[in-house]
Amino acid sequence: MATTTLRLYLTCIRNTLHAAMCLQNFPCQEVERHNKPEVELKTSPELLLNPVLICRNEAEKCLIETSINSLRISLKVKQADELENILTKKFLRFLSMRAEAFQVLRRKPVQGYDISFLITNYHCEEMQKQKLIDFIVQFMEDIDKEISELKLSVNTRGRLVATEFLKQFI
Amino acid sequence: MACMDRASPALKQILLKLYHAEKSIEIDHHLYEFGSVEYHIQSQASNPLVAYLSISIPPLCHGILPNNLSPYTMKMVKGICPNVVEIEEPARGGYQLTLKLNLDQIPRNKDYVKVIEDISSVQSVILSSQLKEILWNVNSDDASPGMYKPIKLVYHPREPFFVIRQPQRIIAVFPIRFREKSDIVIATTFFQELMEVGNSDKWTKTPPCTWSAIPPPELRGEAFEDLSTDGGFFSFDISSRHVEGSRLDKTVWNLLNFNIYVRNHVKSTKGFIHRRMRKRLENLVQVLHGTNSEENEQAKQIKQRQGIRYTTKLVRSSKHTMKQRWRTLGRKIKRIHFRLKIHGFTRFRQRWLRFPKFSSTKYTKLE
Repeated sequence: MATTTLRLYLTCIRNTLHAAMCLQNFPCQEVERHNKPEVELKTSPELLLNPVLICRNEAEKCLIETSINSLRISLKVKQADELENILTKKFLRFLSMRAEAFQVLRRKPVQGYDISFLITNYHCEEMQKQKLIDFIVQFMEDIDKEISELKLSVNTRGRLVATEFLKQFI
Repeated sequence: MACMDRASPALKQILLKLYHAEKSIEIDHHLYEFGSVEYHIQSQASNPLVAYLSISIPPLCHGILPNNLSPYTMKMVKGICPNVVEIEEPARGGYQLTLKLNLDQIPRNKDYVKVIEDISSVQSVILSSQLKEILWNVNSDDASPGMYKPIKLVYHPREPFFVIRQPQRIIAVFPIRFREKSDIVIATTFFQELMEVGNSDKWTKTPPCTWSAIPPPELRGEAFEDLSTDGGFFSFDISSRHVEGSRLDKTVWNLLNFNIYVRNHVKSTKGFIHRRMRKRLENLVQVLHGTNSEENEQAKQIKQRQGIRYTTKLVRSSKHTMKQRWRTLGRKIKRIHFRLKIHGFTRFRQRWLRFPKFSSTKYTKLE
């Protein structure tokens, strides 16, 4: 059931990204000879499209904000308990601090979300559109998988260490 | 103060240096461990066979245990290595214990390492014997109602723990404090696992343990700063069978090291998480950069194909076309030379200003 909902959620995001990622070069209307991501500045409302919010549940959602020359994707990852919360924060902070390795990753997430991506028309020109969408979707899948695996590993380690500690009493 | 390793590494190193010295060396070192344990080791060149080790250690429990070492502790220290270690009376000024080490009595075979290790672990022997003295009285009937009062044991200024003597059992309560929230969460996970494992049927011989976020009722009336924790309280319920014979030493050592054990687990778990994250980062970067490299490869392939097409085109071009190209080129050059056009001059040049042709194949025979 969970796998089905996840697949549907990811397919919905994939399709929305496919529709939204039609970016073109567009110089800034405010500053001459400047080219800025309009989705970040939001100075000209005519250059912005309606943001799309895709929710799997209250804890997991994805906000896709589109403009003429840029696209911003913000993700909220599920955190069922305190351990997941700490692991998610640690992991996403770790990735955000190494944002230069990803090119499309934002150093600071949008408020209310855990991680954000900023894709400009230049990124679309450099990389293939389909590959970028694949990367975003795979990133979401990997984050979920990694957090679950980390949680399991921490619990397993804890159990092993506890067993070793108790062995010393005998 | 306790650490996972019973022997003090610095002290061990100095003693080994003294043992291996071929010439008599003079040593006068002051060592500080964990901020409050002080060692003073002295060896004179005039008497190289003897070294003096003084130790100052804060009492495990203020008020209950005397500041001076008890006879039981002295007995335990004497038992470390009776041939080598002698207790100097009185101890040197500022220290609780001074040991005279007869270095010539240390065996010359492989056992010397063990002997030196035993001597280096004098601090853990003192601590263990102090705690043993408390635990030993589990079965004693002299426990008056006043003795139910928790005894605060400080083996690290920031990590005190409590021992509560009750009839037929002793409860050891560890208040858990961490600076970071992530540490608390990892430690809490560990405590839950420890509780689960400890209370299972397989581990009935081990002391039952419990973790609670709020202070246990036995600590009622203690100072507020001792009861304010962020990681909760972990308790071990120690009965008489856990302190019987050789088990006593293990139980004491485990209790003294519990806090350090937990901290070590938290630290190593954080390291493990970091390693995993680094690995995953590499994988994710590969996914993204894989797209770029694939694109580049495709572009390269297209260029290569274009290059191949051009060469094949060149090869296929016939001799005729080549000649034609040469002719047009020649005409262009001629036009450059004769900028001024005179009507009929070309015909005149072709007829009268023609260069004689010398052919290598045709020649006239000289007679």
